[in-house]
Amino acid sequence: MEQTKFIMINPEKCSGCRTCEMACSLYNEKECSPSLSRIRVVRNEAIGDSFPVGCALCSKPVCVEVCPTGANSIDPELGTGLINEEICVGCKACVRACPFGAAGISYRTGKAYKCNLCGGDPMCVKHCPTKCLEYAPLELTVRHRRRALADDVIAKLKGEG
Amino acid sequence: MYGWRGKRIRFNLTKGTWDVEETPYEYRRKWLGGRGYNSEVLYNSVGPDVDPLSPENVVCLGVGPMSGTFGPSTGRVTVTAKSPLTGGFGDSNMGGHWGAELKFAGYEQIILEGKAPKPSYIWIDDDKIEIRDASHIWGKYPRDADAIIKEELGDKDIHIVTIGPAGENLVRFACTFNDCYRAAGRTGHGAVIGSKNIKAIAVRGTGGVKIANPEEYFKICSEWRETMRTDPMAQGLLNYGSLILIMPCNYEMGWFPWKNLKYGYHPDARNISGEVWSKKHLRHKEGCFSCAICCGIVSEIREGKYKGEYTGGPEYEAAVPTGPRVGIIDSETTLHNAVLTNNFGMDAIEAGAAISWAMECWEKGYLTAKDTGGLELTWGNAEVVDKLLRMMTYREGFGDILAEGPWRASQKLGIGEDCLVVTRGMSLPGDDPRGLGFGYGLSFAVGTRGGCDHLRSLCCLELSGYLYPGLNKKIVGTEECSKPLVTAGKPKMVYWEENQKAFVDSLQVCCFNTHWSYGCRNEHLVPMLNAVTGLDFTEDELMTIGERIYNLERAYWAKMLSGKYEDTVPRRFTHEPMPENPAASSGKVLPLDEMLPEYYKLREYDPETGFPGEKKLKELGLEDVAEELKPYRKKYIELHKGKKGGKKKK
Repeated sequence: MEQTKFIMINPEKCSGCRTCEMACSLYNEKECSPSLSRIRVVRNEAIGDSFPVGCALCSKPVCVEVCPTGANSIDPELGTGLINEEICVGCKACVRACPFGAAGISYRTGKAYKCNLCGGDPMCVKHCPTKCLEYAPLELTVRHRRRALADDVIAKLKGEG
Repeated sequence: MYGWRGKRIRFNLTKGTWDVEETPYEYRRKWLGGRGYNSEVLYNSVGPDVDPLSPENVVCLGVGPMSGTFGPSTGRVTVTAKSPLTGGFGDSNMGGHWGAELKFAGYEQIILEGKAPKPSYIWIDDDKIEIRDASHIWGKYPRDADAIIKEELGDKDIHIVTIGPAGENLVRFACTFNDCYRAAGRTGHGAVIGSKNIKAIAVRGTGGVKIANPEEYFKICSEWRETMRTDPMAQGLLNYGSLILIMPCNYEMGWFPWKNLKYGYHPDARNISGEVWSKKHLRHKEGCFSCAICCGIVSEIREGKYKGEYTGGPEYEAAVPTGPRVGIIDSETTLHNAVLTNNFGMDAIEAGAAISWAMECWEKGYLTAKDTGGLELTWGNAEVVDKLLRMMTYREGFGDILAEGPWRASQKLGIGEDCLVVTRGMSLPGDDPRGLGFGYGLSFAVGTRGGCDHLRSLCCLELSGYLYPGLNKKIVGTEECSKPLVTAGKPKMVYWEENQKAFVDSLQVCCFNTHWSYGCRNEHLVPMLNAVTGLDFTEDELMTIGERIYNLERAYWAKMLSGKYEDTVPRRFTHEPMPENPAASSGKVLPLDEMLPEYYKLREYDPETGFPGEKKLKELGLEDVAEELKPYRKKYIELHKGKKGGKKKK
């Protein structure tokens, strides 16, 4: 069975540089603007923590469910997000419904946008300098996370941490 | 318009008004952005007689055409003002995310003129601008002021420039922060902002930067990013921050700034190396906007009496001044002192230099308990360092004198010339040219913002050039100059690096991306700039812009009657051979006089004064400046009549 690939976030590696935002907006919108990026980094400068938030590619996408015109959908072949700009009326229902703040409205077109995984090679993952983002099948990214935790605990138990 | 947003805001703080000005095409093409814009504004609006802490001084914060884009490390901000520390040209730059945010809001530059009648902060929300009351945050540490403003404006994602108590109390080396810890450290413009009653500048931008050729820009930047990711120097910075420098600086080259840069080596330097530091203190990585390297860190103290303290960085130059420079070699105390300098909002280099200068004076008997109010300024006395940092910030007792910086303090007290590690009024950073390299030494002597100018040229051709065979041959004409401790080729290297750095600084791209590793060279930068702006810049044109900016800054000093007699480094480097050590620097002195004449020739400086030459200024499109300097040439010659050329003043 082919597993769905998704973007795993490893926040302990995120430096908050927002390269992902720029890669996304330049690749998809031909302009550099965080407001047009499908992924946004939430930063807490005072203590140095950062956490990228993007489309979770929900199994039951609420943005699709609430879309009154049918403009918001999931590409049946690629499994990526899809906005049909022809029929999107910019009503912001998807923005209101998304629990992660991952959907947005373009200030240029007035239409909705959401993550399309750059057609299968997400630019945010590709250009992340600290490799905080990982694009792989769900089971594999979970294994990676599990192993990282185990390595960390073992190192601490042995006094190497 | 691509790249640039083409607007800047000029505040008249006295009246509480502002104008949004357009920058014409010719202006943008002549000065590029950030450093170039700022230098032009300072030169043309603040004359030689203006007191830096008076309302007549001007503070400029500038970003460039590539700021706020996918280009690696394009988020830097240059802050420029007439320096209260040196009395001359002063600028400094910082990373963080504020610069990109300003660009998203639609501006390349902010100019602060006059003085607000009461403590205030500025709020720029795209095209809505406000000057707001700041009496409730006056006196707060930058990180606390940042939090209060975010709460007040109801948005934790805005980016804020702040000053600390040191800036409010007009400490002459107070600095500016953005995003809590990203400091534009040098030349003391924090005090200038404080003198204008401004505590902070908060920005929210929701727009974007248009790119002329998006596909090409994406491709070039991606290649550059990939180069950086595999570059050995960049990898060291990513993993350990700039404290990665400690090991080679001490054990191989011998420029570890131990005890006011008297010595270049200490057997326990490893204690504060990046490798040890990352295990003991690293809390999190912290990258500037769109950075490919992410050398920034947030550090915390996990044990001992300072347990629980944390701060951004410190990077190399913020850790060593209040660490080894004052005789402290343990990482907890070093980090604690960095917490203090960040909280108080002062330049760690000058603060450490002031204390280490006083400690050397104490050791030599020039200062006694009578002068210091009973404090015993012995090397490595952590308690005294802690006290002095507080006393300087609030200008109490002996701290009030040190808050003037070591150069002014020594004049006030009439002592300690031989303990001063200062050029043009500014203390040198923790880089000793007797081990680091003679090119660095030359750049310290001739830099356009005083003795700190390891960043004006950043001679990485000499420091890491050996990693890239053929690079020095191509740029300088000889491979010999890859060796730090030779003079061959160094004047040309410094000349080239200074011009290149001036335009790179104006693009507001980080020097670690463009210089340190040479991952990105001019042959990448030129097409990148063209892809962003849609224009047809050539490498020659950019180098000419760099040279124009450099000469304008030098002309500013000339109007201050500072020229060739001031082109010097502290006696320590030219006359005191480096004490014996197992590294390369052992027994070395800096042969500055061997390099200066060739450097002057390359710059086409006027041989009598060391001022920018008339012909050169005209070539660079600075005809007005050439005319303006004429009376100052006469004055300078008159001032130095009877002195031997090229020798130092002191």
